[in-house]
Amino acid sequence: MITYIARRLLFLPVVLIGVTLMIFVAMSFLTPYQLVSTYIKSPEELKNQSLDDLVRKYGLDQPVHVRYINWMRNLLRGDLGYSASANMPVAEAIARRFPATVELALFAIVPVILGGIWLGTISAKHYNRPLDHFSRVFAIVGWSLPDFVFGLILLMVFYGVLGWFPPGRLSMWADSIVLTGDFTRFTGLNTLDALLNGRPDIFWDSVRHLIAPVMTLAYLWWAYLLRITRSSMLEVMNKDYVRTARAKGLTERVVMNRHVRRNALIPVATVSGSMVLGLLGGVVIVETVFDYKGIGLLTATGAQQLDYTLVLGTTLFYGLLLVLINLVVDVLYAVIDPRVRLE
Amino acid sequence: MVVKKLLRNPLSMIGLLLLLGFILVAVFAPWIAPTPEVHANDPYRVPRYGWGNTPEPPSSEHPMGLTQGKYDIFYGIVWGTRTAFQVGLIVTGLSCLIGIVIGSTSAYIGGKFDEVVMRFVDVFMSFPFLIAAIVITTILGRGLDKVIIALVIFRWTGYARLIRGNVLQVKQEEYVMAARAGGVVHRKILIRHILPNTIFPVLIQASMNMGSIVVTASTLSFLGLGAPEGHADWGQMISFARNWILGTPDNPMAYWYTVVWPGLAIVLFVLSWNLIGDAFRDIMDPRIQG
Repeated sequence: MITYIARRLLFLPVVLIGVTLMIFVAMSFLTPYQLVSTYIKSPEELKNQSLDDLVRKYGLDQPVHVRYINWMRNLLRGDLGYSASANMPVAEAIARRFPATVELALFAIVPVILGGIWLGTISAKHYNRPLDHFSRVFAIVGWSLPDFVFGLILLMVFYGVLGWFPPGRLSMWADSIVLTGDFTRFTGLNTLDALLNGRPDIFWDSVRHLIAPVMTLAYLWWAYLLRITRSSMLEVMNKDYVRTARAKGLTERVVMNRHVRRNALIPVATVSGSMVLGLLGGVVIVETVFDYKGIGLLTATGAQQLDYTLVLGTTLFYGLLLVLINLVVDVLYAVIDPRVRLE
Repeated sequence: MVVKKLLRNPLSMIGLLLLLGFILVAVFAPWIAPTPEVHANDPYRVPRYGWGNTPEPPSSEHPMGLTQGKYDIFYGIVWGTRTAFQVGLIVTGLSCLIGIVIGSTSAYIGGKFDEVVMRFVDVFMSFPFLIAAIVITTILGRGLDKVIIALVIFRWTGYARLIRGNVLQVKQEEYVMAARAGGVVHRKILIRHILPNTIFPVLIQASMNMGSIVVTASTLSFLGLGAPEGHADWGQMISFARNWILGTPDNPMAYWYTVVWPGLAIVLFVLSWNLIGDAFRDIMDPRIQG
């Protein structure tokens, strides 16, 4: 197990270089003058020096390999340039917005995984019976409903008509309390900070703002997980060891939960990597629809104003995040399925 | 046999009928929603009726109402069907072509070359598709053509991987060996002998991806990175609706038509592809039929 993790860790720099190279290639479509903004630390620099000076200062007139090394050195120092649309250094904008996205992801991930697996199990248990047909139709319709359409419908019903789940992260009154000195920001996660500060009213307010975005993220992945769990459960149900378990006289519940579902979950673990990919993209849409000020909305607004400095910076951050999450997923996968470790 | 099974399954039947409907709407768009005289040379521009910004409910002249900026929703949806097919077909066609050429060549040559190409594909596939598309459209600028480029760059890899696996299998078949022993040139072996026996699963997979390509394209339009304002495009029509979620104080659903019609168009379009694709998968997958 330890050698497996060590091997995965050794692979990490390779993947990171791949990701940075890809972004570097994308950057080469921009002129050196345009690239200056991805290097400067504040707009003051533009005032005192001409663009030519800055191009020379940051080595943008150098050959490719020198530029790449320079750029990497900058990245390792955390310098991602200055964003005009966010009006602050990119790294600072990311640091400010990231907790909001973490909070959203944490609230979404549990219902998504448990709900999807549960629906898939039910569907497989009732194979080719009404419940199975019903949940399959749900899955196909869910998979066909783009998240931004679903989000807008939720917003219209639960905000416009019922007034239950407003957009944003906090209501105005709660926001003004959070910004005062009495309220300590321990983590940047509103729900957790509210509890630590002993403010159940703010906790409830931020939960109210989280429900609709979480629902939007969840339904799509439910549909996806349902499909995968269902087909892998159906496959396992035909295996000999399941027949043996039944022949031994085990109850249906034990056969299903112990013998079938455990093995059926392996393909589910395999796709969790691509689920993480999808969730990262989904966050951009969901945050835009619900005006939820996280890193996804930051990227989307930056892109709308063609602020490539910001978009490249957040993309790099996404890349880093992705590599780390995939590492965790791989390790968990090896824990679930011992065969992986032996490869 | 497959076609017969598709026609017998009620779900895939609905899918085929929906798709047929969309094809008819796209083909007969000039008759269903005639272009007004004023911009007859640019039928993809959605006509506006009146000044101001506020949407107007459906009426006899505008059966689906007017959305933000007084754009006619019915016209936008009918001509948007053509946009959807254009984006879907161009992206599918180009990415399929690139994927097939790179994937089959890589598998046919094999060895180190194959290894390098596949690692390259891995890097492309390990990145969130939507975010990659956002980066490309930010750098290249706005526009439907940029969206298409972005989608092609990140879509060919799946097809390349799929056909590579098939070619690797067929490469060992006796008829390929025979052709090689007979002195047929490599290009001809690949095109005449290997591709005809490997290409079908890829083409089926590609056609099933039409729905998700159209969703991604309209997502980019929704985020404001796609078609220029006023171009007939479903994603953009939905982004117009964003400012009218709240309705009026006495009627919270006052602007329902700004979301519902374009939303329905996208959902039904994607649904039709997914219904057909789902039935295909069940027919093709013998494991489930035990």
